[in-house]
Amino acid sequence: MDRKARFAGRHALVWAIALGMLFPFIVMIGTALKPPTEVFSLPPRLLPEQWEFGNFEAALSAMPFWRYLGNTLLVSGLCVVGSLVSCPLVAYSLAKLHWPGRGLMLALVLGSMMLPPQVTLVPLYLLWNKLGLVGTYFPLIVPSFFGIPFFIFMLRQFLVGIPDELLDAARLDGASEFRVYWRIVLPLARPALATVAVFQFVWTWTDFLNPLIYLSDSSQYTLSVGLYAFFSEHGVDWGPLMAASVMFTLPALIIFLLGQRYFVEGIATKGLK
Amino acid sequence: MPRRSTTSRRQLRLGLAFASPWLVGFVVLILGPIVASGYYSFTDFNLFQPPTFVGVDNYRTMVGDERFTKALFNTLYLTVFGVPLALALSLGFALALNSRVRGLPLYRAIVYLPTIIPIVVSVYVWRWLLNAQYGYFNRILGLLHLPQPNWLEDPTFTKPAIILIGLWMVGGTTVIYLAALKDVPSETYEAALVDGAGPWQRFRAVTWPAISPVTLFQLIVGLITSLQLFTQPYLLAQTRLNAAAGGPDDSLLTYGMYVYQNAFVFLKMGYASALAWVLFLVTLAVTAVLMLTSRRWVHYG
Amino acid sequence: MRRVSFRRATAAAVAGVLATALGACGGSDGGDDDKVEVVFSYLWAGAEAEALEEIIADFNASQDEIEVRGVSNPDFQKQLTSMSGAQGSFDISDHFGNGVGAWASKGILAPLDDFIEADGLDTDDFVPAAMSQMMYEGQTYSMPIALHAQMLMYNKKLYAEAGIDGPPETTEEWAEQIAKLTKRDADGTITQLGYANAEINTSFTTLGFMFGGAWDDQSGRPTPADPGNVAGLEFYTENIPGTYGVAEVRDFTSGFGEYASAQNPFYVDKVATIIDGEWQSVFIDQYAPNLDWGVAPLPYPAAQPELAGTTQVTTSTLFIPRNAKHPEEAWEFMKYLLSEDAMVRFTLALGNLPARISLLDDPRYDTLPQFSTWLDALRSPNAQSLASTPWSAEYTSDLGQAFDDIAQQRTSPAEGLADVADKASSYAP
Repeated sequence: MDRKARFAGRHALVWAIALGMLFPFIVMIGTALKPPTEVFSLPPRLLPEQWEFGNFEAALSAMPFWRYLGNTLLVSGLCVVGSLVSCPLVAYSLAKLHWPGRGLMLALVLGSMMLPPQVTLVPLYLLWNKLGLVGTYFPLIVPSFFGIPFFIFMLRQFLVGIPDELLDAARLDGASEFRVYWRIVLPLARPALATVAVFQFVWTWTDFLNPLIYLSDSSQYTLSVGLYAFFSEHGVDWGPLMAASVMFTLPALIIFLLGQRYFVEGIATKGLK
Repeated sequence: MPRRSTTSRRQLRLGLAFASPWLVGFVVLILGPIVASGYYSFTDFNLFQPPTFVGVDNYRTMVGDERFTKALFNTLYLTVFGVPLALALSLGFALALNSRVRGLPLYRAIVYLPTIIPIVVSVYVWRWLLNAQYGYFNRILGLLHLPQPNWLEDPTFTKPAIILIGLWMVGGTTVIYLAALKDVPSETYEAALVDGAGPWQRFRAVTWPAISPVTLFQLIVGLITSLQLFTQPYLLAQTRLNAAAGGPDDSLLTYGMYVYQNAFVFLKMGYASALAWVLFLVTLAVTAVLMLTSRRWVHYG
Repeated sequence: MRRVSFRRATAAAVAGVLATALGACGGSDGGDDDKVEVVFSYLWAGAEAEALEEIIADFNASQDEIEVRGVSNPDFQKQLTSMSGAQGSFDISDHFGNGVGAWASKGILAPLDDFIEADGLDTDDFVPAAMSQMMYEGQTYSMPIALHAQMLMYNKKLYAEAGIDGPPETTEEWAEQIAKLTKRDADGTITQLGYANAEINTSFTTLGFMFGGAWDDQSGRPTPADPGNVAGLEFYTENIPGTYGVAEVRDFTSGFGEYASAQNPFYVDKVATIIDGEWQSVFIDQYAPNLDWGVAPLPYPAAQPELAGTTQVTTSTLFIPRNAKHPEEAWEFMKYLLSEDAMVRFTLALGNLPARISLLDDPRYDTLPQFSTWLDALRSPNAQSLASTPWSAEYTSDLGQAFDDIAQQRTSPAEGLADVADKASSYAP
């Protein structure tokens, strides 16, 4: 009896936690499907009596959702490319090459992870301004091509685990360092690279501050700023706002469900010891 | 001898070559701007006219600036209360999930889900949940016979609202703790059981020391994130047509928001740079203090 | 072999996408080779934006040299940062009259005097109170396209239910009516409010004017602590939060629906009287055609009948940023919008008051329900406006904070406004 009670108790606790986490989602979807009269009804009901998709229509006509989706896909995709190109290169130099200054650089990478963005905010804006690139996607995409400290560190931890013998064998065979990197190390690092890709995609997808500052033409907006502008304009139009939110969330959700293990394993095991 | 020096020079060249993207980026996107930010902090600069040098005026203004004090207070409030609470809750969740529960991957995924939702969406959904008239959160509080504050318009409750949203998003830390808990060697637990230790003593003697490195890291990350918090309070305080909103009685004005406002709304880029530098120094100081005092409670290995 | 082609393919793909991205953002400079593209970034949105787009389409169809592209950007924080680049992202935009001085003093706006002289634009036909806001240090930096006036709007159905004959003439009558029009439950929860602010900043500054106050003096220096201003705000604090409870009022107002929708609290019988602008004529027609409403001049204190007919006039203005790519073409479009026919079309569609004196009697405005009350308000000698000064942004921000504190009764009107006066002494000489 005691065991059964504890079993039930454990599961009840876990269900309660899961319910708490899911509740806002249920509300979001429920509100999105309600007609306006039900949205503002008292006492509030969780699920709509009448399901209707009018809110989705309203949201789609009030904001150029597909264009914003396209913009966000473009920016997120390019950032993933940037990270995948640069971060493994830099991580390799920290993990598998022995050179003076390596320790210092590792410390700098770790230190940059802790930098508050506000410190560089103004000068970076001025820099991009001088280059005439404010109002373009460049300020959002170019930094990823220079490497993101978090991913560099994560990849470095992973690469350290690759046995040196594999690399030495190839080097002895006369392969250039880049060839060793390209043909041996990268393929072995595929799971870590997949994690980087998945994380970078979601980070850029959900990023708000950078598009807010650098994008001025509303036709360029990403979904974050688009939703924010929708709120600025329509304020407490809860039904369509929730509908737009649902549409904005879906792609990130799909990526998450498909690449779940990359997320969970990625942050749990790679490089946080 | 000559052979070793050519090898080490070759190694240096290779190392620099592979590291070059980040090294260039570091100088251009991080080091340069930090130095430039320091320079601008001594100027008066409104973006449309060239900067004029004003010495330490910006820093002097800061001392007498009421909004600066308020922004600092708000940020420290959120940090001092929000970070430990979030950490404790995520540890609690991890412990709950670590017990033998069926379908753990599903629960783990559900707990992690809020962290991948776009922040803009999360905040707007919570604005709806916390609405004083129609919000479900207050309905639930009412059913439990608890007081139902006006979360978004009562200055006393706006920061707790931010902390609440933060607690909803502890999934990332929970998953990290879960992995760390699984790493605790079971022999140590069994030894403690043999010694007759109860669950709380087991936690104190075995679990807590074992996960203390993770705790330290999460604490530092949490502190840094909290000190620069911008998006959630900015969106929670957002009003229609967007004036420089700091929430009721500026209760939601965090330091990060104040820097943004000074830079992009009031166009006082010099003052904004000075504010940013102060934040930088405070962050460094806090991190240093944490790392130094960590020796007392963190166990490695 | 495989390695080389893969690398080349990736490089080509990345370059291609980058080029597209670059092209996507430089796109606004393109368009037809023959036509010059002028970007008109405006704060209007929704139905108002649609009306504006029709006028833009007409302009484009009427001539061959200029193609105007309208973009709705309701966020005015972003508007400001867009003008900071070396090459602007728009050529012409709109703003509020009392902000002109601040932007002109920072060198953000292009002066228009040369254009006005060259084309002989008749600036005498524009309402003087509006034109004065367009000037800074003797130069014209903006032109008014539409004016707005504040009036007292009331819900006739709720008035009938409360047994009140008609709108108040004096503020004392208004206070009595508010008491009759506010309904509460047994536990103090408000279910209907006699008066609520449509928009706190405009409503409070208007209340100040109504009680004989002024927010700036002749030279533009801020005078927030003027006794008339204090009296105006005390009217609000005594009659609303002071009588019904700050928390209760806050709870009630936090459930208000969206302003520009059928859920506007005034349309759904939640609020009996509001102070609002003439665009409501069009809005109500669109969102709440069955609402039984009325509009009347703002009440005056019984002891000061000389204040009758007070109203606050605000201006929507057009300007060309200093960094516009095509300022001459932008001016051509501005001239078009300022011409009589276009101005009538624009203001009719948005339900705004025209900026030209000659249009104030135009019969075309008869189509808008109850519009004449607002039109007449512009003629009153007591039509007031806020000054346009270099420190308007700080002053407005400080006032906004003080208004919030006062409405939530964290400070009294006298103290709160004295505080603003203190702060103003640091930026206004």
